[in-house]
Amino acid sequence: MQAAPIVFIQAGLTYPNGVEALTDISLTIADQSAVAVVGPSGCGKTTLLRTIAGLERVSVGSLQVAAGAKRAMVFQSGLLFPWMSVADNISYGLMTRGTPAEQCRVIAREWADRMGLQRFIDAYPHQLSGGMQQRVGIARALAIQPDIVLFDEPFAALDAQTRLIMQELVCDLRRQGVCGTMLFVTHAIDEALIVADRIIVMSARPGRIIADLTPQLADVPSADKRALPAFNQAFADIWAQIRQEVDVQMHEGVN
Amino acid sequence: MPQNRWLSWLSPLLLVVLWEAAVQLGLLNRIFIPPPSEVVVALAKGLADGSMVADVLISSRRIALGFLIGAIPATLLGIWSGLNRTVYLLVRPLATMLYPVPKIALLPLVIVVLGIGEVSKIVTVAISVFLMVVIHTIGGVMQIDQRFFEVGRVYGANQRTLFRTVALPASLPAIIEGWKLAMGFALTLIVGVEFVGASNGIGYRIWQSYELYSIADMMASVCVIAALGWIITIGLDEVERLVVPWRHTVKESRMPLLKKWWGAVRPWSYTAAIIPVLLGASIAAQQGGLNWLWLALALIGSIAIQGGTNLMNDYYDYKKGTDTPAVKGTGGALLRGEMTPNQIFWAGIIAFAVGSTIGLYLVYMTGPFIFWLGLCSVAVGYFYTAGPFALAYVGLGELAVFIFMGPVMVLGSYYLQQPVVSWPAIWASLPVAFVVAAILHANNLRDIDTDILNHKRTLATMLGRAGARVEFYVLVGGAFVSVLVLIALGLAPWPTLLCYAVAPLAWRLMRTAATEDAAEKLHSVLRGSAVLHMRFGLLYVLGWVIALWV
Repeated sequence: MQAAPIVFIQAGLTYPNGVEALTDISLTIADQSAVAVVGPSGCGKTTLLRTIAGLERVSVGSLQVAAGAKRAMVFQSGLLFPWMSVADNISYGLMTRGTPAEQCRVIAREWADRMGLQRFIDAYPHQLSGGMQQRVGIARALAIQPDIVLFDEPFAALDAQTRLIMQELVCDLRRQGVCGTMLFVTHAIDEALIVADRIIVMSARPGRIIADLTPQLADVPSADKRALPAFNQAFADIWAQIRQEVDVQMHEGVN
Repeated sequence: MPQNRWLSWLSPLLLVVLWEAAVQLGLLNRIFIPPPSEVVVALAKGLADGSMVADVLISSRRIALGFLIGAIPATLLGIWSGLNRTVYLLVRPLATMLYPVPKIALLPLVIVVLGIGEVSKIVTVAISVFLMVVIHTIGGVMQIDQRFFEVGRVYGANQRTLFRTVALPASLPAIIEGWKLAMGFALTLIVGVEFVGASNGIGYRIWQSYELYSIADMMASVCVIAALGWIITIGLDEVERLVVPWRHTVKESRMPLLKKWWGAVRPWSYTAAIIPVLLGASIAAQQGGLNWLWLALALIGSIAIQGGTNLMNDYYDYKKGTDTPAVKGTGGALLRGEMTPNQIFWAGIIAFAVGSTIGLYLVYMTGPFIFWLGLCSVAVGYFYTAGPFALAYVGLGELAVFIFMGPVMVLGSYYLQQPVVSWPAIWASLPVAFVVAAILHANNLRDIDTDILNHKRTLATMLGRAGARVEFYVLVGGAFVSVLVLIALGLAPWPTLLCYAVAPLAWRLMRTAATEDAAEKLHSVLRGSAVLHMRFGLLYVLGWVIALWV
């Protein structure tokens, strides 16, 4: 894998209906780094992620994703296939690439064990709690051994305690080195600080990058950094930036 | 809450009672509104002479063909329109325009074009089904959450994989819903169609009763078509459960009751009760028509007795405490605490009551032979494990089962249809007798060590393990060899060779029985023998049924 698997150069995206979602995005994401994207709602964070996933195309400038990089995405509210068992959901990305069913089953079982889902391997998604569903969503992403993992506000719909547990889980997975290059979109600043090392702050629509921070909080990914004084400082800095943008939005009557 | 369940039965029951009373007391004119009892008599008569069954089969065939001809292309076209904008724009307006037309209004036109025969009836049903299914399928495909397609694309699915893993499963619930509605329409429609242009079928039957002013017959036919609708609904629900399992696991809170009884009554153990009855009837059918009512009653009676036996065994085993949760193959519903002993006991009593009532009715209708046959069976059943000479414990278990769950039951069922003691029927029952005895012997083979310790004398303990193995080969092999011998002697038709389709299973069972000593493994032989009995028996019966046409 090359040094920077994702490079935006003065990229922008305007939808066919004239809404400008992204503007003047220049961003280089290093291999194996963990980057969080925060910003006010509707700022185009998710759109940014979708361009990397290949679900949208930038309309100006350029986006280069390393050739052959395997991309996986963890969606908001999971988006598991309700008609597939946990095992089939986990191994979906393997199945589409022609992995034999038996091997799919083995890998699904491995990931279910890893995620504490071994008892639910044959369950259907609706039988699982929200937190467990999102574990399946993460397992589905990581089972394909992706080079790039995109998280799109994955824990937004979970209750506060489950969120904390899931954040710890992501830190664990990062320590195990299975997340590849990670992009994590969230509207929660503390979440961004916990799961990522580098924080991109975006403006209100049309989204552009207004800050790019690398707070020095801890050597290894861990939820414990929440207790550090520097954590609160970083939180306050980022919030100050976003706060301004939210105010702008409110005055313009957007959203 | 469980007490309240009875309330929902109360109102229909009360209605029937009040209705009967009102007619009997002369408050209602029985010429216009016959009492329920007369309707039941009319129903029994219709079933007994076979005409009712024939009409139901004719209507069912029309519905089934119309449904298939309509639903299959409609489903395919609906999916295509849902996915492809051009096809959608071509299909949808036409379907929506035609949809509100009452399909029965098209019947005269269809008759003009296709004639008054069978085709026009099937086509009318098919048109109705087609429109219903097309509209529902389009709707089902269009309402798929587009984000699922995005998930598929992100994870590398191509168009074909997207169709197979997203479009199809996501729209299946709506498609099946469309099928169910279409089936309801088909049922309604066929009655109307048969009112007008038919000389058979259930709708014709209703209309004919009207013309003859035989209101009891009319009501009986209405009951039958209601039952048909009910069966179709259950069938489609079952299809839905199979095809869209992810939707039904939600309803588990409602399931346990049914599941508990299912476990207690063990319907899968009934092949031993069903196959001899079917075989006797299908052998008799070679000589002429069937009395469907008696066949149905014989089946229900046989199942009821078997079910009652299962329930009572559980009850007494539980009372004696011989079963522990570890014991394999027992009912276990009691042991797992899912049911109270009282529930099981009374369910057993009810099953026996149903069984013996039917038995007595059949004796009343056909004479003393069935009575003596039944009495002998009951006696053998009793002395099987009771009394000083318990058959099962002097090594006669296999023989008793061989005779009574083979020739005796087959002959009984045969006799209901053709009142003669038929030696050919007895000979023809031998293959089934061999396999049913093999089940029991597989049980004894498994338990051989514990039986020796407990001084239980079965044929297996008397022969020793090596001899018992040979006995198993003889019984399983005997089933297959006897079929060949019967065909060679002209006592069985050649299509019964069908049962050789299960020869591989039989071979596997014999291999396992030959090489394994562990009770665990031999338990799988026991279960396999029961499966063998069912499949072998059904195929053998099927052979006899096919012989009716070839």
